[in-house]
Amino acid sequence: MIDDAVSRRVFLAASTTALASAWLAADAHDLRASLAHAVRAARSCDPLPWESLAPEQAADLGAIAAQIFPTDETPGAREAHVINFLDHSLATWAAPQREDLLRGLDELNADAARRWPGASRFALLAPKRQLELLHARDQTPFFQQMRFATLVGMFSLPAYGGNAEKVGWKLIGFEDRYAWQPPFGDYDAEAAKDGH
Amino acid sequence: MRAVRAAVRFRPDTTVDFVVVGSGASGGIVAKQLATAGLSVVVLEQGPRIEPEQFEHDEIKTLFQATLQNPPAGFTFRRTESDPARPGQIQLLYHRLVGGGSVMFTANYWRFREVDFVERSRLGAVSGTGLVDWPIRYRDLERYYTKAEWELGVSGVPGPFDPPRSRPYPLPPLPVKSSGVLFERGARALGLHPQPAPLCILSQPFHGRPACQHCGYCLGFGCEFRAKSSTLYTVIPMAEATGRCEVRPNCYVRKIEVDDRGRATGATYFDENKQEHFQPARAVVLCCNGAETPRLLLLSTSNRFPNGLANSSGLVGKYLMFNGYSTSSGVFERPLNEYKSVMATRVLYDFYESDPRRGFYGGGALDARAFVYPTMFALAGLPQDAPSWGAEYKHMLRDYYTRTMNVDGHSTSLPLETNTISLDPDLKDAWGLPAMRVTYKDHSDDLAMMRFLQDKAIEVLEAAGASRTWRQPVQETTLAAHLLGTCRMGDDPRTSVVDRHHRAHDVRNLFICDGSSLVTGGRGQPTATIQALAYRAGEHIVEFARKGKI
Repeated sequence: MIDDAVSRRVFLAASTTALASAWLAADAHDLRASLAHAVRAARSCDPLPWESLAPEQAADLGAIAAQIFPTDETPGAREAHVINFLDHSLATWAAPQREDLLRGLDELNADAARRWPGASRFALLAPKRQLELLHARDQTPFFQQMRFATLVGMFSLPAYGGNAEKVGWKLIGFEDRYAWQPPFGDYDAEAAKDGH
Repeated sequence: MRAVRAAVRFRPDTTVDFVVVGSGASGGIVAKQLATAGLSVVVLEQGPRIEPEQFEHDEIKTLFQATLQNPPAGFTFRRTESDPARPGQIQLLYHRLVGGGSVMFTANYWRFREVDFVERSRLGAVSGTGLVDWPIRYRDLERYYTKAEWELGVSGVPGPFDPPRSRPYPLPPLPVKSSGVLFERGARALGLHPQPAPLCILSQPFHGRPACQHCGYCLGFGCEFRAKSSTLYTVIPMAEATGRCEVRPNCYVRKIEVDDRGRATGATYFDENKQEHFQPARAVVLCCNGAETPRLLLLSTSNRFPNGLANSSGLVGKYLMFNGYSTSSGVFERPLNEYKSVMATRVLYDFYESDPRRGFYGGGALDARAFVYPTMFALAGLPQDAPSWGAEYKHMLRDYYTRTMNVDGHSTSLPLETNTISLDPDLKDAWGLPAMRVTYKDHSDDLAMMRFLQDKAIEVLEAAGASRTWRQPVQETTLAAHLLGTCRMGDDPRTSVVDRHHRAHDVRNLFICDGSSLVTGGRGQPTATIQALAYRAGEHIVEFARKGKI
């Protein structure tokens, strides 16, 4: 009996991609345990070895995440360690998704080679070409999987390995205090002042 | 009211007075009513028992993983009987844990009104639908709404269109949020009548529980402060404190058994290790929700009841209603910070009654809503035509997150005999039982009402000064959180499943009380009515038990 409109959107948002299906199916305990690894990786000075990805695959997927949520004057997917989160997820609870995701990456790289003879890997393309390629392919299931994973890695609890140092939350103005007193925002503050 | 959990554990072969199936919004109340009247009760709950301190603000676990929800692949869906039923086409959203949906719900707590019980006689027939009057009236239920509000703890203040009440709310409304202030501003400019939203959440300490801490995680999350007045930390501890009620978690009931006289004898269930047990009882109460209750009845076939238990009318599982909804958003100049505090603080009921001038049946209400869990907002909070990734998307997300609010519409669903819960002939669940099959097509009037309210929502947002507004397109239902109408109440055994006291017409010692009992679905927030019915049913069942009429 959880209520209506928002939850419908929540579910629709979560269920639009294949990766989301894996999230829905994965066992909570498994997920927790697996993501502890990403936390260690995020804290470690020396990067841990990749678990599910070849280094060049990790570089490509990391570069895609960095285009989906770029670093500008504020932190993006790189600073949030989205790729560590994704690597370990694919090694464990999201393992059934790994093959599809890597096939999607291969297709993306093949497309790059067709467009620009000599180009071999996404990560090595000039940023302008990376964007061109992603825009051309942003309706593919592969891209939607990557968008889902990137945004979840940016904004979920840091305990899952992404959102390192809460960079995602700080960016949008969410504060994880979980206990507040009014006023909550400008308009109710103003109303209270006016003796609302 | 945080009772020490009583140690009563019935021996497995003990015949108790009542077995109650389901511990949610209605089951918790029925169990408490029975146990406090001196009757012995075993409550069988599908899910685990989670204590408040175990609840977390974890979007991944709670919203994506949804380990406490029913598995989305566990049933099939089709729009009409002539379509093939496929898994995963719709999501029925309900929760399996002690306290059920009352733990996770948003806590909107709207009473039904006089009109909800007599709409058929007020409006006349709506062709092709099963719209009928209830066998009871608002006045029959009023004191049970009051009982629920005072025993559970509800915050609010009556507005201009509220139905009559015998007592004020026990607690004042929660503090208004910026969305509520803006909603009021916009609605008043349009000549409408916004009012504080009634919520099953404590605005002040009550019965030993603390007031809401405004953490912002109501919808889909359990309240670690115990400020949301779930049955888990209100009536269930009261039931357990009697020493006559055992709440048994992780028990999945597969059949209500009957003897050769056609009387219910108890429930056969699987424990968490899928071991089968039988709990004998003198009477049975089903409180499993509007989807699981009809399924259990249909699973409970026997020589005497070959079409399912209590189904001589053939109506078990039929007249399924979900409630309509629509959602619209607006962005404002300065921060609202909707991620803080409860989901809705203002509501308006100006469009509650069906109005023939609109050209279609239906009624509903609008409320000012938050949609702000960070991951969810990032995935789906921006306008549909906005960039969905890249630098522009990121910029817009930063810009909109603290400044956006929603106005949502909540509305009627017409009861249609063709909208049903039935058993899938092929798919099996994880226990090898026939999976649930959902057949549901929205009535065109229900969709028209959703669109009508969405238009009004946009007007309110614009009148409030939104710099930009946008809509989630109204479409046929793909996710349902309100599960209503599938064992409808009525006086005639040929056209209803339970009588006005929630007794199954066909089985004297079987009672059914949850969303399935509703004859009409109200305007979008059924929990207060489900719980008022549960108090009323509990009182009647106790009376019957005392008089030997079970």
